[in-house]
Amino acid sequence: MTLLTIFLLAIITFTTRYLFLHPGLPVKLGPKVVSFLNFSAPAVLTAIWVPIIFVHDDTLNVNPLDPFVLSATIAVVISAKTKSIYWTVGVSVLVFACMKFFL
Amino acid sequence: MLTKKQAMLKMIQKGVIDMMPLNLAVLPWGILCGSLAIQRDFSVLEALLMPMIVFAGAAQLVATELIAENAPLLTILFTIFIISSRHFLYGLALRQKLKILPLKKRVAIGFVLTDELFALTTDKKALKGKLRLAYGMSAGFSFYFSWLLFNIIGIVAGAYLPDLTTLGLDFAIAVTFIALVIPTITTLPVFVAVCVSGVLSVVLKLMHVELDLVISSIAGMYCGYITLRWKNQHKLNEIVD
Repeated sequence: MTLLTIFLLAIITFTTRYLFLHPGLPVKLGPKVVSFLNFSAPAVLTAIWVPIIFVHDDTLNVNPLDPFVLSATIAVVISAKTKSIYWTVGVSVLVFACMKFFL
Repeated sequence: MLTKKQAMLKMIQKGVIDMMPLNLAVLPWGILCGSLAIQRDFSVLEALLMPMIVFAGAAQLVATELIAENAPLLTILFTIFIISSRHFLYGLALRQKLKILPLKKRVAIGFVLTDELFALTTDKKALKGKLRLAYGMSAGFSFYFSWLLFNIIGIVAGAYLPDLTTLGLDFAIAVTFIALVIPTITTLPVFVAVCVSGVLSVVLKLMHVELDLVISSIAGMYCGYITLRWKNQHKLNEIVD
């Protein structure tokens, strides 16, 4: 039963990724839609990371000294300054790990 | 001068290197997913098939918990569909570039079209032409094999690991996305899109709205688009005046 479930899940995840790449699908994208879709990367990625930082156990968490909030703030600043993914991830994960470990 | 073959190899290499921080960011999550499957009494084959063919992050984790709880099949499938539905947006955004590819390449790139790969292909020229496609493929598949490897580590170590679900492992993922998004905020419309999507994602999450991710993304995209049109209109008026 679990195996069958896993195969069905695989079909679902693959379909959500592949569907709109299929040329046979009768979808034509006009310039307006393309311009709208250009915002998909920043919008979707932000909608993934912001709740990870600010929502814990179904409650809003905006305490500036919380490990998530403080490390994420540091990450935003470093990313804006350096634009380097390595510096951003390296420093903020280190801060986060230290806070988790020592607090 | 590079020969065609050398150029191709260089691009494949670069794909792997550029994807490396994103690969590493999911290391704790991969181990968590693998070990959770074993701890929830999945067989080794079932635990392996999850990263091999379902190949998802949050969806995989949630599915593992739901299967372990003996949730109704329809509930499991619907939940995973909801979590996975943001990928429709990626497919739409890349449709123009990828629908022209031959079937095998199209299916292959579609299979590895994750948040991470999409984040790496936001450039207008990305995935266009043989070399850029090779770059995307190698980035995408390096992520696939990393994810598989980390899951296997979790599967092997699963019985010996404590319950990892409470460690705040998702921070690594959040911070890679921060590192990918912040440098792209160079114009007002993108800034508006990010702000709207970010605020709404928190509000909808707190309200337990099922399609929170997709709704907040689309709202953010729409506000970005409106801002862009307003800006262009403004410019046009200035020229006319």
